Amino acid sequence: MNDDAYLIAALRLASGDDPIPARVSRAARELYSLRVPDVVTADDVDTTVTWKVRSVSGDDGMRLLRFAAKEYVLDLEVSADDGLINVAGQVTPHPGAGSLVDVRTPSATASRGLSATGQFACAGLPPGWVHVICYRPGQPPLATRWLRVRP
Amino acid sequence: MAADSDLVRAAAGGDRSAWDRLETLYGPRMWSVARACGLSSDDAADAVQGAWLRLLERITTIKDTERVGAWLATTTRREALLIQRKSQVPALPAPVEVADPAAAYLESEHHTLLWEAVSALREPCRSILRLAAAAVGNQQVATRLGIPVGSVGPTRSRCLDKLRTRIPEEAVL
Repeated sequence: MNDDAYLIAALRLASGDDPIPARVSRAARELYSLRVPDVVTADDVDTTVTWKVRSVSGDDGMRLLRFAAKEYVLDLEVSADDGLINVAGQVTPHPGAGSLVDVRTPSATASRGLSATGQFACAGLPPGWVHVICYRPGQPPLATRWLRVRP
Repeated sequence: MAADSDLVRAAAGGDRSAWDRLETLYGPRMWSVARACGLSSDDAADAVQGAWLRLLERITTIKDTERVGAWLATTTRREALLIQRKSQVPALPAPVEVADPAAAYLESEHHTLLWEAVSALREPCRSILRLAAAAVGNQQVATRLGIPVGSVGPTRSRCLDKLRTRIPEEAVL
């Protein structure tokens, strides 16, 4: 891959024929409300985990992803179903009583408590970008990187 | 006017207006990069949004904040390439540590110079680059220019190479 795309992009920019749509600009500005001060973003590890096929609900793909930050590991299972996305996961070790998880998209946030084993699940999110952030009492929040999921 | 590094620092510290300013400065070129990669309008919107989310992920740790515009362009291109692969859940791209040098083409404040350089090229380069900028598909380009569809891509690349040799320095610095 060479740098042709940048040069063509520069020509497109100069021509003014295809300006950025207002909705795209507006969406970018609204993302700032997702900023969480002092958040620690977990690096993804072991992302070569392969797709599995969910045998109980047809051919929907499911992907397992692992993120690590500090001494914590966040495992996510992301799948798509009927045009919506589902996220389930586990925080290990359990980050302690009072910890919460937010599964966030640019347009919706679902808050979940953690089970005794640190597990959580959230279904029916709009497709697009999604990530998970874990709030721990008295400590900085932990977040996964953002994933794009389109059924 | 605030330097890019000041805008990044201010946005990292909670200044929404600095984030808005970054969007004003760099949103249009990010859109052009995504579209130049061949994405549809909806997919280009996803790529641009993804690049802004990457900035949000790394806003307190990003290096070379003076060149955040090139970083955003490079990040947009990486997201666009992943989207082109059409995976339901694409692999996560490694964080962009260093912006692509070629992203400098987008930093020009004298874009008309680029088109003057195009005008100075011979045919079919003039036409093929105009069509490339207008996102006309290879099949249509082939029909309009009367060349085999298989030669559109290589011809376009050769024309872009010729254009690079004619771009005035002030258009990329």
